[in-house]
Amino acid sequence: MNVTDIMVWIPALSDTILKGAGVIFILIASVVVGKGLTIYLRRYFKDRVDKDHLNILMKVIYYGIITLAVLVFIFPILDIEASSLLVAGGVVGIVIGFASQSIVGNFISGLFLMTERPITIGDQVNISDNAGYVEDINMISTVIRTYDGLYVRVPNEIVFTTNITNYVANMVRRFDYVVGIRYEDDAERAIDIIQEILDREPFVLRNPPAGIFVDKLGDNSVNILVRIWAPVSEWYELKTRMLWIIKKALGENGIEIPFPQRTVWFASELQTKRISPAENEPIENEGTN
Amino acid sequence: MFDRYTPPFTIETENISISVEEENGNLVYRRDLNGDRIEKIILHKYGEFLINPIEPVNIPRALSSFLLIDFRRPAMVAPDDRQTIHLKFPVEIGIFVSGRESDHELIDIFTLTGSKFTLYGNPTRGLICKYWQSDVHSSYTHPDILHEGDLELEIINDTNNWMELTQAVFNAYGMKMYYGSDRLSMKAQMRIISKSLAEIDFMTFPLAPGFLRSMELYTSRKILLSSTKSIMEFGL
Repeated sequence: MNVTDIMVWIPALSDTILKGAGVIFILIASVVVGKGLTIYLRRYFKDRVDKDHLNILMKVIYYGIITLAVLVFIFPILDIEASSLLVAGGVVGIVIGFASQSIVGNFISGLFLMTERPITIGDQVNISDNAGYVEDINMISTVIRTYDGLYVRVPNEIVFTTNITNYVANMVRRFDYVVGIRYEDDAERAIDIIQEILDREPFVLRNPPAGIFVDKLGDNSVNILVRIWAPVSEWYELKTRMLWIIKKALGENGIEIPFPQRTVWFASELQTKRISPAENEPIENEGTN
Repeated sequence: MFDRYTPPFTIETENISISVEEENGNLVYRRDLNGDRIEKIILHKYGEFLINPIEPVNIPRALSSFLLIDFRRPAMVAPDDRQTIHLKFPVEIGIFVSGRESDHELIDIFTLTGSKFTLYGNPTRGLICKYWQSDVHSSYTHPDILHEGDLELEIINDTNNWMELTQAVFNAYGMKMYYGSDRLSMKAQMRIISKSLAEIDFMTFPLAPGFLRSMELYTSRKILLSSTKSIMEFGL
């Protein structure tokens, strides 16, 4: 190769180098602009938008700026027409679309979940029979730590389409007890005793008021239904504690929880013998029914 | 009882016993109340102790910063009128320790009154509040300051209608308590805006000269506040 041949190559080479340098510069500039803008917007919206939404918004803006820079500046430098990409991209898009159907579905569901916000991190929930604490909500999946300490990853599509029970979405929550007392006991006295206990307990809310009433005349007992409202944070601890306190207080006041019992009537008189306790000998005949 | 103490000291009143004694070069804080005993070792020799009333929303657990006072009998306020009433509020007592740099740290809270919580508003958007019931008085109530304090509430009815008040909700983090030897007071203002909306704010000056301002928990815990107001938006 002589000098003339090299001189022929230089303009073409310099053109390619210039284009490459231009593309790199535009990419770096778009990244810098994207980062700078998101940092500024993050500071501005920090106290106005919640953290989850802000993260999504910042990612959309950041990648949007880069995509815009590629389409508007880089494609013309590289002599790429966006319309031709659309045709090629259409075919590829269909293939990728089928392959990534579930991923996109989960992603879209994740976006809707973050918008609708039926759950937040730290909530106690039941999703698709997985009850526990929400540990994390990602773009594709939601992580639950079950009450028995298991890690469960639920795809967002399932979270979005299934029934969600959020145990802590409201400020207060109710639990019920059924307290059975004997038929010979005074139900009104029992209700007064239970009311006194509930009045003394700080976490049994004054409003909404507790409901205490005779609910059912059962086979073996008069059933008193006790409905107690508690702050959601104290609900479980209170529920596990109050029933025994009520039982003890009723017992101390002579009101007992009855055992199941059945009265049997015989059609004809039964022949029985009474046994002497000392000698185990029959001392007389009695007829009872 | 509400005062500054230098160890060793012992306080016994009603059914409370508080003592701070030196033990092996450290201080030991003990508090007995109704059979419950709290004991803490303070790894410091020169601490000063401050006992004073604090915002009554911490016992048995600080679930909320709001105190709801339920009026035993509703009070009626005339249109465009301004009236002052006195209520009683529960007292919680805080024990603070301070080092040489006079930075106070809370080490214990107790109360001689019962505790109860309630929901103000609806279950979805309402507030969990500490609950207290009080009569409505027209002058200072002379409460037993270990159990209750006096809250002077100025009610301003900005509406054109008679208003019936059955309760008042106070943001405990805005409370300013002032105490003397036998008096414990707070002063607040309620501005009624509509039948279901009122704004309550606390006054930051004592009722009379010579009163000391209580150490506030939010100062101790370094909680930053933007407002001392509470908004009653779920009815009066």
